[in-house]
Amino acid sequence: MTTLVGYSKKVLEHFKNPHNFGSMKNPTALGQVGNPACGDVMKLYLKITKNKSGQDFIKDIKFETMGCAAAIATSSVVTDLAKNKTLDDALKLDNKDVIEALEYLPDIKIHCSLLAIDALNEAIFNYYQQTNHSISESLQKKHDRITVCQTRINH
Amino acid sequence: MKLSTKSRYGLRALANLIGQDCCCSVSKISKEEHISSDYLEKIFVKLKKAGVLKVERGAAGGYTLSRDPSQITLKEVIDSLEKAEFSCPSICNCQSKSVYQQIQSGFSQVLNSITLDHLTDSQNKLTYFDYAASTPIDPQVLSTMLPYFDFSYSGNSSSLHQFGLKSAQAIEDSRVIFSKILNSKPEEIIFTASATESNNTVLKGVAFANKDKGKHILISSIEHDCVRESARWLKTQGFEITEIPVDKDGLVDFQFLEKNIRPDTILVSVIHGNNEIGTIQDILKIGKICHDRGVYFHTDASQSFTKVTIDVQKDNIDFLTASSHKIYGPKGVALLYIKSGSNITPLLHGGGHEFGIRSSTVNTPLVVGFAKAAQIAIDQMDQENSRLTQLRDYLIKNILKNIPNTHLNGSAKFRLSNNVNISFDKIEGESLQLSLDLYGIAVSTGSACSSHSLEPSHVLSAIGQKPEQAHSSIRFSLGRFTTKSQIDYLLKILPGEVSKLRKLSPFK
Repeated sequence: MTTLVGYSKKVLEHFKNPHNFGSMKNPTALGQVGNPACGDVMKLYLKITKNKSGQDFIKDIKFETMGCAAAIATSSVVTDLAKNKTLDDALKLDNKDVIEALEYLPDIKIHCSLLAIDALNEAIFNYYQQTNHSISESLQKKHDRITVCQTRINH
Repeated sequence: MKLSTKSRYGLRALANLIGQDCCCSVSKISKEEHISSDYLEKIFVKLKKAGVLKVERGAAGGYTLSRDPSQITLKEVIDSLEKAEFSCPSICNCQSKSVYQQIQSGFSQVLNSITLDHLTDSQNKLTYFDYAASTPIDPQVLSTMLPYFDFSYSGNSSSLHQFGLKSAQAIEDSRVIFSKILNSKPEEIIFTASATESNNTVLKGVAFANKDKGKHILISSIEHDCVRESARWLKTQGFEITEIPVDKDGLVDFQFLEKNIRPDTILVSVIHGNNEIGTIQDILKIGKICHDRGVYFHTDASQSFTKVTIDVQKDNIDFLTASSHKIYGPKGVALLYIKSGSNITPLLHGGGHEFGIRSSTVNTPLVVGFAKAAQIAIDQMDQENSRLTQLRDYLIKNILKNIPNTHLNGSAKFRLSNNVNISFDKIEGESLQLSLDLYGIAVSTGSACSSHSLEPSHVLSAIGQKPEQAHSSIRFSLGRFTTKSQIDYLLKILPGEVSKLRKLSPFK
């Protein structure tokens, strides 16, 4: 039995009042990462449309997360960061952006920020697959890593 | 001068009254606070006379405060119940008179500065349900300890001058207190700095002292980390460890134990009251099995000591660990009972303190405080157990009834009087722990999310829980200062927080 780790004010704010949470009807794409056996599961819903310049962009985003306070806060922050971004820009986000937006994450919670970025990448991967969009090598690699991780966790 | 029972009961009843939505009858409060209604009636009549309380008539009538709680001082309440005076016992005008006058004026000042809403603030804003992790020190224990920090007790208890002897006497008196509680000889009690140290001493000390007989040790699968990690380390030193499985209630498998005691088995270590799920083992039976087979039996009684009667002779215990800070004593002191004639090697070598088992200057005030805490706890054990069992069962019943998809972990029957451990499906324990912390409610979780390992609790895994269930567990542990109104506050907050987190979860 262990006690709470030290959370920043921002983490507590997002934990208390998470942004963009809940499920979405008819999402364009879905990304789910994590495993209940490890205590963290994140699911991201994306609504993707074209912007004026004809680029794919994230018009709406929602999350559902079962996990610790950091997992909930990182999910909430990643939806803020990705909303209204083009998919190209959204793919440039990394876990440092998530940590920065939360001011601070304790060491043992860094994996929550990685998980949030993984969920976003997976949702975009899912969209590209559906639309037969070309998938960059780095995104394919990320997807393979996430899939391997989850299979390993499952067994 | 100390507050008498009358004042204590009066303040408790008033705090309860403030927590009620409207006026309240004497019988309701007497029931909730476990104060006899006749006695409480007398207290309320006095408080009414003094203008602290008033009576509302009619069907929904009863007692209520005459003014806002922030307008009523403790001094007013106590003065109306008894004379809050710290006066010189002597009638003559000696030098001490002025000292007493100063104390009296300080005393009045303090009581005047505290109002009734302070009382309820501390009740509602800080609600502690983590007594199994550590307990606050009992004020009586603290005041017993304080003189032992004085110059006159500052000698080393192994020195032969008067200063040393005074300390030594205090330590020996403490040893006698423990020996009476455990039915041992005083010289069989060794003082250490923590339960972790006691457990390490037994595991490693018995292993190294008896390695010629054998290198096999049995421990239960639900031991505290300090036993598990000691055993794991012993493995690296060539010892063989077998874990005794437990059933879904957390009770050890006796058949497995009997079958797995071998000629080279030197020690069996089974935790008495489990720290996470509160299961109490049948140590009488385990002790008998070990005794019959000629194997040492150690039990870690950190959680059960002074909650469950232990008789080291009847229970055939060779080694027993107990800790001070779990029983309202100071942190940094614990004991190890070692049956005389047992073969054990010390961890700490040096001046040969504690019968050569634990070299280190003994910390007199801590030992004295520990003994006082044990004495208080033993004196009120039966009464406190029945009070806590009632509160515990009330909490369990209401959580399971009011919140769907919740499960009690551990045995309903063989359970520490203060332990409640519940799994809340589809929720991660740490997030619920934090939600409650934001309301000032302190609980503990078996979730790994707040630990470095990310592995779920080995105890919950051992009773057959899937990792996702183990991650969703919360331990509520009650104690001496837990009241029914605190539990009601928890029960008021809990369902909303659980459903909020469930709404966030992708699993419905």
